[in-house]
Amino acid sequence: MFDAFYSMFRLSLKAIAANKMRAALTSLGIVIGVAAVITMLAVGSGTQKSMAERFSRFGTNILYLRQPWNLDESISSPKDVTMDDVRAIRKLSGVTSAAPYISSGFDVKYGYTSTSLSVLATDTDIFKTYDWELESGRQFTEKEVNDYGQVMVIGATAAQTIFNDMDPLGRTVVLDEIPFKVVGVMKKSGQGGMGFDMDEGALIPYTTGKVKMNAGWNNSDRRALDRVIIRVKDFNAIEDTKKDIQNTVRNTHRIHPLAKDDFQLDDFASFVEEAKSASKTMSLLLGVIGAVSLIVGGIGVMNIMLVSVTERTREIGIRMAIGATSADIRLQFLAEAVTLSCIGGLIGVIFGVGITLIVAANSSSIPAELSVWSILLSVGFSAATGVFFGYYPAYKASKLTPIDALRYE
Amino acid sequence: MPLIDTQHLFKIYRLGDVEVRALNDVSVSVEQGEFVAVMGPSGSGKSTFMNILGCLDKPTRGKYILDGIDVTATDLSKLAGVRNRKIGFVFQGFNLIKRTTALENVELPMIYNHTPSHLRREKALAALKAVGLEKRADHLPNQLSGGQQQRVAIARSLVCDAPIIFADEPTGNLDTKMSIEVMDLFTRLNKEMGKTIILITHEPDIAEYAGRLIKFKDGQKISDERK
Repeated sequence: MFDAFYSMFRLSLKAIAANKMRAALTSLGIVIGVAAVITMLAVGSGTQKSMAERFSRFGTNILYLRQPWNLDESISSPKDVTMDDVRAIRKLSGVTSAAPYISSGFDVKYGYTSTSLSVLATDTDIFKTYDWELESGRQFTEKEVNDYGQVMVIGATAAQTIFNDMDPLGRTVVLDEIPFKVVGVMKKSGQGGMGFDMDEGALIPYTTGKVKMNAGWNNSDRRALDRVIIRVKDFNAIEDTKKDIQNTVRNTHRIHPLAKDDFQLDDFASFVEEAKSASKTMSLLLGVIGAVSLIVGGIGVMNIMLVSVTERTREIGIRMAIGATSADIRLQFLAEAVTLSCIGGLIGVIFGVGITLIVAANSSSIPAELSVWSILLSVGFSAATGVFFGYYPAYKASKLTPIDALRYE
Repeated sequence: MPLIDTQHLFKIYRLGDVEVRALNDVSVSVEQGEFVAVMGPSGSGKSTFMNILGCLDKPTRGKYILDGIDVTATDLSKLAGVRNRKIGFVFQGFNLIKRTTALENVELPMIYNHTPSHLRREKALAALKAVGLEKRADHLPNQLSGGQQQRVAIARSLVCDAPIIFADEPTGNLDTKMSIEVMDLFTRLNKEMGKTIILITHEPDIAEYAGRLIKFKDGQKISDERK
């Protein structure tokens, strides 16, 4: 059995080797298809993994309170999320901290240069909520928040961009015509990508931001917050804590017991789900692209196998005369088609792995992760392509009669 | 019992309203070990006759018994095995497979009866030796002369130990010297190995090698003489 397969495989290789250029061009479609699938799957799963890592660095015990973007029409007069909510939530036993969160992009001027930064207006609880560490200087204080202090804590990358190698501490930058003194610089955290990226941004007291600055914020209401970032004490009790928070906010918003919430409380998991489904859609799209290239490649294989059957009609006649059955002939041409597409598949794997490694080595922003699964899958698919598109030519060859085939010139 | 026994073979083609009788009531028996030459002008039906004897085609009517097997009652698809075991073919155009060495060409029939590979090699080398080409085993067909190619084809026809060799104008593409070489080889196979040989030719001096001469004309056997 193995012996028969081996001789069949050798025969196929020989037939393919007889027309190297043609074989190369034919399998090119499959090479491209497989290489594309492997690269894309690697980038896709790498992105997913790095996203999950990034999320997990945020901590799983973070909750986000905000007004829904798509408000239910049944809610007639929704109330904004305000500091009243923040203060009420802070009193809950399951809550470690709750920070107001208003963010927007600003041009930050220093001397003659102007840099665009994302600025987060918040209070001191933000330092308890997120695991950000100071590189130098200090956090702003509760007193500074209460006194509308014009102070700023700046992210590592942002500091580098604005001040180059100068020490940012004590320097003054201008934000919307109001001067802010830099009091602290954060360590690089590398956790950007979800809402606010500390490395690229700056923190200011929300009081100063809301009262002294005139423009730039998304909501015109001076009391309204974008959201509240809440850290819960115990992840295992997160559902109970969520209930408590919900009740508290319903209370501050004075919502009738039968009415719906006019706010939304998200946890980490819902972000992950969203990101995952986006990445799944992406994978599906890439899969479709790969499938289309494989089909196109398969049609190429079929075309060339039909040519090969015609060219080798006489050979088929000889083989039949000396004892090959129709099944032998069919198997031979099928084996040839499968060998051809598998060679294409293997070359595609080599290219795909190569491209992935090059991408992974040269770009930190595109994470790529190879999986054995994707390699096996694409080689399996190219073999299946060979079987599917090689069957008709092989069948045609097997239907020849020995005398007609021998007579063929 | 004769090795080959045909009784009242007919092969009838229809071309529109015209009925063409390529074979018209042909009965021939060939005993084991005979060397038969078949002659006739083109269109005489000798090729059709040979295709039927070689189990490549079936008659419209009549009976053909080959070594005890009723070929006319056997399904065309099952005849591949019969050809493999009972018949060796030698063609005018050699019909070796290109880009495949002499040895591999000779091994080919054994691939289809699933002979294990080590045995295949052994038997193929023996067959090449029998035709005096063991030193050319690794040559490709286009590296061999016409006579050598034909001898490779003969080796291929021997390798499954088939009792019969069908040779269809085996010297048609060869010069006189090579023709003599090949015909001497056939004679040797007939005399020494006891192979039954059926030879189609249109050259009388080639037919001279055979011990029996059958002539065809218009789809019928017109003469059958033993020397």
